[in-house]
Amino acid sequence: MGNTEVAVCANSNEAQIYARVGDAWELQHTLAEHDKLITAISWAPQSNRIVTCSQDRNAYVWTPTENGWKPALVLLRINRAATCVKWSPKEDKFAVGSGARTIAVCSFDEENNWWVSKHIKKPLRSTVLSIDWHPNNVLLAAGAADAKAYVFSAFIKGVDSKPEPTVWGDRLPFGTICGEFSSPSGGWVHDVAFSPSGDVLGFVAHDSSLNVVYPSGPGAPPTAYISVKLTSLPFLNLAFTSETQLIAAGHDCQPIVFTGSSSGWALSHSLDDPTSSSSRPLTPHGTGSRVPSGGVGRLGNNEAFNMFKAADSKQLDS
Amino acid sequence: MSEYAFRKIDIDALDEDVILPSDLYDPDPRGPDGVLSDAKSKSAEVRNLISRGDTVGALSTILTEPPYGEGVDEAKDLTTTALLLILNSTRSTEIPAIVKELSPEQQDHLMAYLYKGMAALGQGTDVSGSVLLTWHEKLTEVAGVGCIVRVMTDRRTL
Repeated sequence: MGNTEVAVCANSNEAQIYARVGDAWELQHTLAEHDKLITAISWAPQSNRIVTCSQDRNAYVWTPTENGWKPALVLLRINRAATCVKWSPKEDKFAVGSGARTIAVCSFDEENNWWVSKHIKKPLRSTVLSIDWHPNNVLLAAGAADAKAYVFSAFIKGVDSKPEPTVWGDRLPFGTICGEFSSPSGGWVHDVAFSPSGDVLGFVAHDSSLNVVYPSGPGAPPTAYISVKLTSLPFLNLAFTSETQLIAAGHDCQPIVFTGSSSGWALSHSLDDPTSSSSRPLTPHGTGSRVPSGGVGRLGNNEAFNMFKAADSKQLDS
Repeated sequence: MSEYAFRKIDIDALDEDVILPSDLYDPDPRGPDGVLSDAKSKSAEVRNLISRGDTVGALSTILTEPPYGEGVDEAKDLTTTALLLILNSTRSTEIPAIVKELSPEQQDHLMAYLYKGMAALGQGTDVSGSVLLTWHEKLTEVAGVGCIVRVMTDRRTL
């Protein structure tokens, strides 16, 4: 909040909130309610609420009080682990992806003082790994392990007012499929993201591909469906910085900037190239194989590799 | 080993909503017969191109829309044999230039066949491991590790 606090989960069933004090980060609160590993955290910047979801198939919405952060119950009704969670732009809903081939779209039920969910099930065939909200607060993108990225309507009666028509569609009852896109070589989709306008969808998959889709209208094939096949290892995350630029990062250990439009996308530059002399690499072991001429990934020059290489030319005694 | 017996239970039989390979990729639109006749004509064309010394042409022919999925084993065998023939009849110094001529799609397919060839070593195929490794090295230099990852994830097995 205000760039002074951060919520983290150190691979456990507790989330911790750190605040910046001077030059250090101090532990302020511990959010302990989950029984199993917390898989995702989303902090709503305006309403100052945190939602956490976990492998224990639950989610909690945390609100700050004088006596620390208090959890509110969410009726997720899923029978597998929750994998990802994100507040909608207006912060009146959030969506939870899960291993139950389900996305739970949650809104607040004032009568009972808890959060209730509506499920999107079809046509998901596998675990939902990532979600992202369209700026209109209604459309929801999801990336799944069935190697597809989807765009759904998450319109909730009583919460949302009728949205303006977009390139994704004009009539949008809950659960409408507005788009379904496969990764080019069957890689499961790690992350999905809308561009700032919401008119463009990007996703990265485990087949080392970056895909950008420009829809043309409801029911029609997209105007452009651009797949960039990378020479590097797969990306795990992506974020648009504008309609013509995005940043992606993943197993290659360096954030990479891409630029493009509906006529094509291409790699622009790395933000942390370990081979460049001016960089201070955050991670010393980047595979550095984006530029394919420099040998084969990290196999190029390390001790273990050289040992095996030498072993190959040695004669065996036995 | 009785404590491992449960691993052999087909739990998918109990799942009403079981996920099938066909849910994860679309079958070849040409159909099994179309795929087979395509594979036959390509295989003949490849032999023709090799005899004229056009390795790039032969490779890109055989790596365009190769047979994948289930029920097309004969077409797969024909294509694999034709491809191994090309690999064997290429001098190693020519490989880098040839690999660069291929489209990214074709490079992915070539990598898939290299791994398929390695898996079949010692099973009566007439290709040597060192040939496959040389191609693999040169192809990875051009197409990167991303190409290998794509072969591993792709369910449309060649």
